[in-house]
Parts: sequence; structure tokens; C-alpha cells
Amino acid sequence: MKRHLTTTLALATTAALALGACNGGGATSGRTGAAAVDFAATPAKGGTVEVLQNADFSYLDPARGWDGGVNNFYRLVYRTLTTPAPGNAKDPNAIVPDLATGLGTPSDGGKTWTYTLKDGLAFEDGTPITSAEVKFGISRAWDPEIGIGSPYAKNVIAAPHGYAGPYRSGDLPTIETPDATTIVFHLKKPFPEFDAVVGQVNMTPFPKGSGAGDSFIKKIIASGPYKLAAYTPGSLIQLERNPKWDPATDQVRTAKPDAWRFTMGLDPATIDERLLAGQGTDANAIAGTIQASTLPRLQAPQYKDRVLRMSGICTTYMSLNTTKKPLDDVRVRQAINYAVDKAAVQNATGGTQLATIATTVVPTTVAGHKDYDLYPSPGHKGDAEAAKKLLAEAGQSQGFSMVLDIRSQPKMQKQAEAIQQSLKPIGIDVKLNVIDTSKYYETIGTRSQQHDAAITGWCPDWASSAATFIPPLFYGPTITDKGNPNLAQLDDPAINKRIDEVGAMTDLAAANRQWGELDEQVMKLAPIVPLNVEQAVYLPGRNVAGLFASPGAATGGIDFVLVGLRDPDES
Amino acid sequence: MTIAPTELERERPPAGAGGAADLAAPPLQPSGGRVLRALRHDVGAVLSASYIGLVVLMAVLAPLIVTVSGWSPYEFDQSAIDPNLGGVPVGAWGGMGGTHWFGVEPGSGRDIFARIVYGARVSMTIALAATALTTVLGVTFGLLAGYFGGRVDQVISRVMDFLMAFPALIFMIAVLSALPAGNRSALLVVVISVFGWPYLARIVRGQTMSIARREFVEAAQASGASGAAVVFREILPNLRSTIIVMVTLAVPGYIGTEAGLSFLGVGVVPPEPSWGQMIASSVTWYSVVPTYFAIPGLFLFLLVLSFTVLGDRLRAVIDIGEAR
Amino acid sequence: MPRYLVGRLAAMVGVLLLVCLFTYAVFFLLSPDPAVQVCGKNCTPERIDQIRANLGLDRPFWTQFLTFLGGLVAGRTYGEGAGAVECAAPCLGYSFQSSQSVTDMIGQRLPVSATIAVGAAVLWLLVGVVSGLVGAVKQGTWVDRVLTGLTLGGLSIPNYVLALVLQYVLVVQLQWLPFPQAVPFGEDPGRWFLNFVMPWIVLAVGYAAAYTRLTRANVIDTLQENFLRTARAKGLAPRLVWRRHALRPALTPVVTVFGMDFAGLLGGALITETVFGLNGVGKMAADSIAKNDQPVIMGVTLLAAFFVVVGNVVVDVVYTVIDPRVRVAA
Repeated sequence: MKRHLTTTLALATTAALALGACNGGGATSGRTGAAAVDFAATPAKGGTVEVLQNADFSYLDPARGWDGGVNNFYRLVYRTLTTPAPGNAKDPNAIVPDLATGLGTPSDGGKTWTYTLKDGLAFEDGTPITSAEVKFGISRAWDPEIGIGSPYAKNVIAAPHGYAGPYRSGDLPTIETPDATTIVFHLKKPFPEFDAVVGQVNMTPFPKGSGAGDSFIKKIIASGPYKLAAYTPGSLIQLERNPKWDPATDQVRTAKPDAWRFTMGLDPATIDERLLAGQGTDANAIAGTIQASTLPRLQAPQYKDRVLRMSGICTTYMSLNTTKKPLDDVRVRQAINYAVDKAAVQNATGGTQLATIATTVVPTTVAGHKDYDLYPSPGHKGDAEAAKKLLAEAGQSQGFSMVLDIRSQPKMQKQAEAIQQSLKPIGIDVKLNVIDTSKYYETIGTRSQQHDAAITGWCPDWASSAATFIPPLFYGPTITDKGNPNLAQLDDPAINKRIDEVGAMTDLAAANRQWGELDEQVMKLAPIVPLNVEQAVYLPGRNVAGLFASPGAATGGIDFVLVGLRDPDES
Repeated sequence: MTIAPTELERERPPAGAGGAADLAAPPLQPSGGRVLRALRHDVGAVLSASYIGLVVLMAVLAPLIVTVSGWSPYEFDQSAIDPNLGGVPVGAWGGMGGTHWFGVEPGSGRDIFARIVYGARVSMTIALAATALTTVLGVTFGLLAGYFGGRVDQVISRVMDFLMAFPALIFMIAVLSALPAGNRSALLVVVISVFGWPYLARIVRGQTMSIARREFVEAAQASGASGAAVVFREILPNLRSTIIVMVTLAVPGYIGTEAGLSFLGVGVVPPEPSWGQMIASSVTWYSVVPTYFAIPGLFLFLLVLSFTVLGDRLRAVIDIGEAR
Repeated sequence: MPRYLVGRLAAMVGVLLLVCLFTYAVFFLLSPDPAVQVCGKNCTPERIDQIRANLGLDRPFWTQFLTFLGGLVAGRTYGEGAGAVECAAPCLGYSFQSSQSVTDMIGQRLPVSATIAVGAAVLWLLVGVVSGLVGAVKQGTWVDRVLTGLTLGGLSIPNYVLALVLQYVLVVQLQWLPFPQAVPFGEDPGRWFLNFVMPWIVLAVGYAAAYTRLTRANVIDTLQENFLRTARAKGLAPRLVWRRHALRPALTPVVTVFGMDFAGLLGGALITETVFGLNGVGKMAADSIAKNDQPVIMGVTLLAAFFVVVGNVVVDVVYTVIDPRVRVAA
């Protein structure tokens, strides 16, 4: 249900250039000037790709991990029935078949979905991957200890009451395997986008009986083109080829390099310095977005053609708690929307290169985006006059004070300070409540603990529709006391009704147009202030190619499955 | 070696080895006038005192100074930074010029001069408050342990050993990060003092022990004066100069500690400026905007240096020996 | 002597136990529920209770503390059944955030910390003692005055400021040194040296200044003592007087102080490691604080305290060996 901005720390966000991101063959190289380096070139076979990261991945077990960074990694070692399209696809937002021969066939009014497996699939240990293994892997999602990742399997697929995964409750009767290549799912209720659900990372197959308890914490059983060669938590992951993976069965992964080395626990500053220098094996390195302070240094001529930009799919926003006074008055919330200096927030985020200003809920890079700005101001610097007028109408011209929850992280603190400054002229005194990073989402997601406002972000769980963007944030009936993503606590009958209707549409293209309309309808109520969409500036090593953005698998970042080296023999 | 940490990474002075030096009998008290006269002729001391005076003045008059310079420490100036280059200050030397005297902070355009001026408030208040609390604790426990000896001394000495054996820095960070950020300044003072007082108490204890054995104290005791009267009337006045020197030498340690904790992100809560915090946020920018770390770094260094020099000279004049 | 030693060791164990207890109690009171962290994002109250029971977090404080001590001595197992985690002795705790025992995590990062600490210690001992001696011999001359000035500067400069200044000048402007990285010695000794030289300087400067003062003061004091005057009166060559009689007593305090300072470096190099982004134990502690990974913070705190307390005892023992006067007194 939730994929917050934080969880995508490892390899940050992003897709193609802001303009025309949805179509496009992925990564376009930077701004003007003929790029001497072709990032999209097809890499040669062989060599080791280096990945430099600050943080370790959350979990190697796909039933546990579920965030932009690790989802991207999973595709190197795991396969699922379907998967987000590779970054170089015609429509990189689409969902495409992977282990399955095609997308699912719905029947029974959309409550039953059937998939057929390809032939010649096997795990790294040689065990064939049949429908039984797929079913076993999926049923792990119900284990209360292991299934802490993506919630979609549990939310969408029917299961007997009290089912607690294969290790505790045995077989899951609601997934049928009539033969070795056919698998049939029975859902709780029709779910038009079920193809995206079976592409979730916790739908990974595993040999029957494996993976109990913590056994996939440090070892895994690979089904993708690579297997784990070495793992030191917090510092190193090495991948080597999985000889049992048959490229003929895989239209998603090119798997050009022979090996991957993820070096973790590096300081962001260290990573940037290494990328700038690009010496030795660092010529074969990729990493997350560079820091704002490194941007001025990229002006130097030697870096001009090495810069790769990808735009993001996550919206950073400030939620306004509609249950607190005076934020319960829509005019007050609209006034705040007018007054916030989004340009200042953008600068606090790292400037125009690292963020684009957002005026909508769904970002341009996600299907279902509609372009509009209900609260315009020149240069997005805020319109204090319009805000003051609305506040006066609401009887709040004398001003008030409100508490803004933020994470103890420099960037977010700066964003909050920018908001604090821009609301001061209209008489709103913003007090910052700094919450420790590890407790942040738990705190703001607990209704009794959240304050008037909070800065947070939202990424879609799949980029092929806005169905994972609008409903979790604004659907009234699912507001819960704990773990509540609807921070505004918006519960508007008209919006709820529209969400129900659009969510049931089976024509995805039509549904996406409706999501766009709904986006604007929501913003008329101003439950949040969209701030910006962070985007990435990469400085890949000179020898790295095959760099495309993947909104679905890598939260818009570099899609690992296409990456390789230009010349594996160099350095 | 100074009694208090002059910088974070030298948190503890020698234990076992220092015992003998501490017991050296304190000299008779030099008069305040003589000390002042001597210091007035010392260029280093005069310069140090002037700089400290300047910073104090800056801290006290911060709101006034900021009115003259034209920018509040919290005010964003988007025109002073380049949004297309990660928010780097426009112009050479970090955007220094007539508008922003010391340039601006990257990413927000806040005025560095104003933040330095207000940061002086934070640094001075916390360091002085911590010094005051440490002095009260250190002198009280030192006197108690030294005068009464026996079981009291045993208990206090063990507590001191324990606190001095503690990896104070790690512990301070852990405690500060775990506690709610509500009133960080007060917490900083308390945490710094809890780990700071034993260093003063040890010396006070040693000197109390030797003074207590002198004739005039024995005479007072013989004439029937109460324990408290002896401690406050006879012993404490004789410790005055030691305490003054020790305290002066302790202040830079606390300034450094506050800045260090803020540098590590567990100091004062933003947007309140502190020098340590300014340096911390400048770390990623050091290669592009060197003035951003150089200015608060220089102010901090000079302040610590001034207190160190002043304490040093004071000690030389009062001559309590090279006490460690 | 043996009785003295036994007494010291007993006191040491006592202090260590106290440190353990105090640290454990503080973290017990302050830290967020570890069960919540183990539980992860989509957590239910029942699941938290289950984890609490599984890890023994529902038991009283003293039971938990004794279990922890037991783990230190004999190792322990976290949880039961399939999800159980082994933690071999000396078990300093288990980080559920990184799925690793704290002992292992420290073990992985200790080489970097040790490299920084040893290099810095060598540097500050050399510089400190030599310039202290020079200052004492040239007492009152301009050389002495320059040294005194430098010493005051060295004592006063916060090491993170110095680190930034050095990085700016040596790495960015002059490009004499690379941006520091923990290059293993075995990989390339030359690069190893270039990468670590800046951290060494930054960590050593404050200590070097302090040792300069200490050495200078001690040497000057010693030169005025009676036995030296006697030696000189006996007609011993000045060089011999220096070597045989002055240096040894003058440097004894330096040795003891050094022992203590070195023992304190595990926690002490935190800022140096953080500023240069070197993955030592200190940086791990700082990172764990940011991530609120309490078992790691507690493990490092305990280990650092252990070094300090043990260092204390070692220094005392060494002191009795090298200083005859103390031996008699004891």
C-alpha cells in the first residue's frame, strides 16, 4: 500500500527527461549539445558492473523487502509471472510477461485470473520452476513473520480465514495449479490491474519448503540471471552468473555483465568524489543521484557529457490534517496552497536540476497524470495576497499557529524551513516538530500522534496507472488508526464514490483519464500541498552503458536489468 | 594538558598518573589587582579578552546588529542563490558583498553574517551555562570528598572514576538522539555537565585535602567552627584562583563540545543557528563554497583559542604550577 | 605487587559491570521498542506481542540484563524456532536492522579504526615528544615561543574544522592527496598511506599539542630536580645526564597518559571517521545513532568503556614497572 520516499533511498528515484517521459526510449542524455557518450548504447558481454551505495538493501528476501532500491535489485536475481517493462521498452510504464507466456486471462467477471508458464525455467540449483513453485513462493506472503513486504497478494487474492503461509498453514487452496504450467488465482473481488499484482516482488517463486524463518536473510535461491556469490551485510554484495537461467525464456533482462558488485555503506560525499574521479574500477560504476553540492562541479568541461538525468515518479507533499482546526476549513487549506513558496522548497531540495515543482498529486511520469495548477503564482513563489484574501474569508486574518511534522534529515528540515518562511507573511506561525527518521512514518501514520501537517512523499506501486496514487492517499473508508497513509484524513463522499467507480473500470486507458480528473477534483479540496517531484542527476562511469529509466521496477531510477559495460576488458 | 577537554576527541585527562601533581599545596592567593595588571601587559591575553568581549557583545546585541545588516538569520533570499546549480550562492566568495556581508547559505540564501551573530548566542549561552553547572557540581563534590574524606570520599571518587571511564562522546550523542528534541539547549547543558564535573572535582578534592591539613584550618576547627563554616570561610576562599583558572580552561572545552554535538546533528534544533551546525551543513559544500565552512570555523577556532590563551596566561600569572 | 594487581583487577571488573548496567539501563529506558523495529512496516499489535515474547522483551529488567551479561560471556540465541538467531560469545547484542551480530559488525570495522588510531598515535607521539623536548631545551628562545603558539593553536582547532581546511587545501586546491578512502594496506601500500595521512593528521593534532606541553613541562621540572644536579656535579657529560637521568623520569608521565589516550580512541575517532566518511567503529556508531539501531550503539559504548577501563589498569601496572618511586610506595 505504501511506498514512501524514504524507502527509495538506496538508488533514488526517477525516469526519462521530464518532457515526454511516458513515451520515449528511456534515458535521454542531458540538455543541449550532442552527447559524446551514448548512455543507451548496447553494452558488450562480460565484465563486472560496480554499484556504489550508501545504504544496504532492506532485505534479500522478496517477501520482506519492498522499496524502489531493492525492487530493482530483485530483478537481477528473481523472476515473477509478470514484471514492469524494461526501461528501453516502448512504454516503460507497462506491465509485461516474465515467467508467464502472456498477461493473465480474467474470467468469472474478473475474479479469476489464469496464467501459463514458459518452458525451460529453473532455479539456480536446477530445480524446475513449475506452477507449484510459483504458488509456494506467493503463499509466503501470508506468513506473518516473512510477508512484511508488498501487501497486494494478501489484499487482493482470496485466502481461507486465518491462513498464515505455507510453513504454518500448509497449502493455499485459493491458488490452483491444474498442471505444471498453469496457475489459477481466485480473488476476493474483481481487480482489473491484477497483472500488476503478480508482478509485485513478493510473487517470486521458490522451491517448495525453502525459505522458512530467516533462511533468506543471508542466502537466497535465484531464479534470475544472477545468483549471490558473496554477501556481507552493510558492506558488500557480489553477484555471479546463474548458469541455470536460460536467456531464451527472458525478454526483459539482457544480462550482459558477468558479475555485479554492490559496495555499500559509502558516504554520499565519498560516492560523488569517486564518480567524479572515475578511476580504476569506478569507470564501471553507477550510483544514485549526486548531491546538490556536486552540481556546480559538473560545470567543468570533462563532466559535460557524462551527466545523465532521469525524472522521478514520487511526489513530495505537505499533508494538511483536515480534522484539525482551522485546517478543517477548505479556504484555509487553499490559502496555504497559495502561500507556499514552492520555488524556495525546490531550492531547499537541491534546485531545478534535482526537483521539478509539482502542482498535481500524480507526477507527469506516471500514467494518469493531468496537467493543471489550481493555485498558481508567478514563478511558483507563492501568492500571499490571494492567500490573505482566503484567510480573511475564513475569519482567520489574524493568523494562527500550526505544527509541521518533519523527519530529522537535513533536506527535509530545509524544506520545512522554506515553508515556515513563506507562511509567516500571511500570519501562520509554523512550528517544526522534528521526529527521528526511524520513528517518522510510524508517528505520522498514527492518527492520535500526527499533528496539523507533515512533509512526506508518495511513490506509486506500479507506474501503469494512478490506482496506487489517489486511493491510498484520499480514500475515506480505509482511514485507519495506525499505519494510515491518508494523512489529510480526507473523507469526502463525492471523492470516495468516484474512487470506487474508477477503481472498478476495466479499460485502463479510460481509467487513467478519470484518475487525472479525480486528481484535480481532490486538489480543489486542498488536502495536501504538492511540493515537488525529485529527479536524479547521475554521473555513471565512462565505461557503463545500457542506462534506461524504469518507473515500475526502479522507481524511475536506472533499470539494472539493461546495464552493462561498453568494453569489459578496459581497466 | 588542560583539565577539560579542549576538543571533543580528547575527552579524558590522565587518570592514575596525575594524582601526585594534584596534591601539590596551592599557593597563597595573589590579589586580583596584581593579576589584572599582569594580564594587561600581556598582548595575547589582551587580544583574547577583546575577542571574547566582541563575541559576547555580538551575542547580546544580536537583534540590533541584524537590523543594521538587514537580514534576519531565518530569512530566505532566493535571489542570492542559483536554482540551476543546486542552490550555490551567486557570486564569488560564497556570495559575499554589500548585501550579504559574509555571503549566504547554499540552498536557502540565508545570511551567514546573521547566522554567525545569532549562533554566537547559542554557543556562548550553552558553554557558559554548562560551565556554571559544572563548576557548582565540581566544587561541591570536590569539597565534600576532600574535606570529609572517608566514606564520602570513597563514594564520590568511585562515581568520578566511573564517569571518567565512560566513552562520553558516544554516550552523549546516544542520549541526546534518543531524548525528544523539545528543549535541546537545556539537555545539552545537563549532558555536558554530567560528564564534565569530575575533572574539576578531582582537582578541588586534592587541594581541599592539603588545605584542610594546614594550621589555619586546624585552628578554625579547634575554635569550634562548624564543618560548613570551615569549608566556606576557610577553604573555599583559598581555592578561588584554582577555580577561576580551571573554569577559564573549561569553557573552550564546552564550546567545542556544543559545536561538536551540533556538528554531529544532536545539538540545537534547526532553524536555530549554531556554529557547529553551520559547519556540519557546510561539509558537503566545502569544495565549492569554502567560505561556508571557513567563516564559522574561524569564529569557532578563535573563540576556543582565546579562552585557551586567556586561561593559560591566567594560570601563569596566578602560578598554580603546570597542574594537569 | 600481586595483591595490588588482584585488587585493581577486581575494581576493574566492578567498574565494567557498572558501566554495563548503567548503559543497559539507559538504553532500556530510552530506546524505542526493539520489537517494533523487528516487526517492520506492516505490523500488527499481536505480531509485536509475539516478537516481544520471542525475544524475551516482556521479561523484567533484571532478567533481561542478566541474559545480556550471559550472552557476553557464553553467547546466546535470539528467539526460538525457525527464526532463531545465533550470537556467539562475546555477544554484544544483535542488530535486527542489519541482520548481524554487533560483535561481527564491530569486527568488520575494527581494522579501519585501528589503522587510523595507530597511525595517529605514532604521529602524535613523535611530534609531541620531539617538539616538547625541543621546547624544553630551547626554553625561552623564539623556537620555544613559536612552538608554544602552535601548541595553543593545535589545542584549540576543532578537528572537523581542521579536516575541512586540509581537505580543501590538499585535495581540492593542490590535489596532492586523494579524497580519503579506506584502502587496505595489502592492496596498495602507497595508496593506503596517501589515503590515511589526512585522517592521521586530523586525529593527531590535538594530542600532539597536548603532548608537547606535557613533555616540555616534565623535562623542565626534571632538570631542576636534585638528583640531576648531583649527576651534573659528579661531572657526568651533559649528554649522558640527559639520556640516563632526565629523559626517563620526564617521559614516564607521557607513557601513562599515552596509554589512556590510546585506549580512549575507539570512541574518540568518531568525528574523524565521520568527517572523512571512513567506515570505522566510530562512524558505525554515528550511523547507528542516526538509524536508531540501539544494539549497535550500546555495543560500541560498552566496548569503548572496556578499552578505557582496561587501559587504566594496564597503565597503572606499567607505571609501577617503569617508575621505581611508585614501586616503593605501593
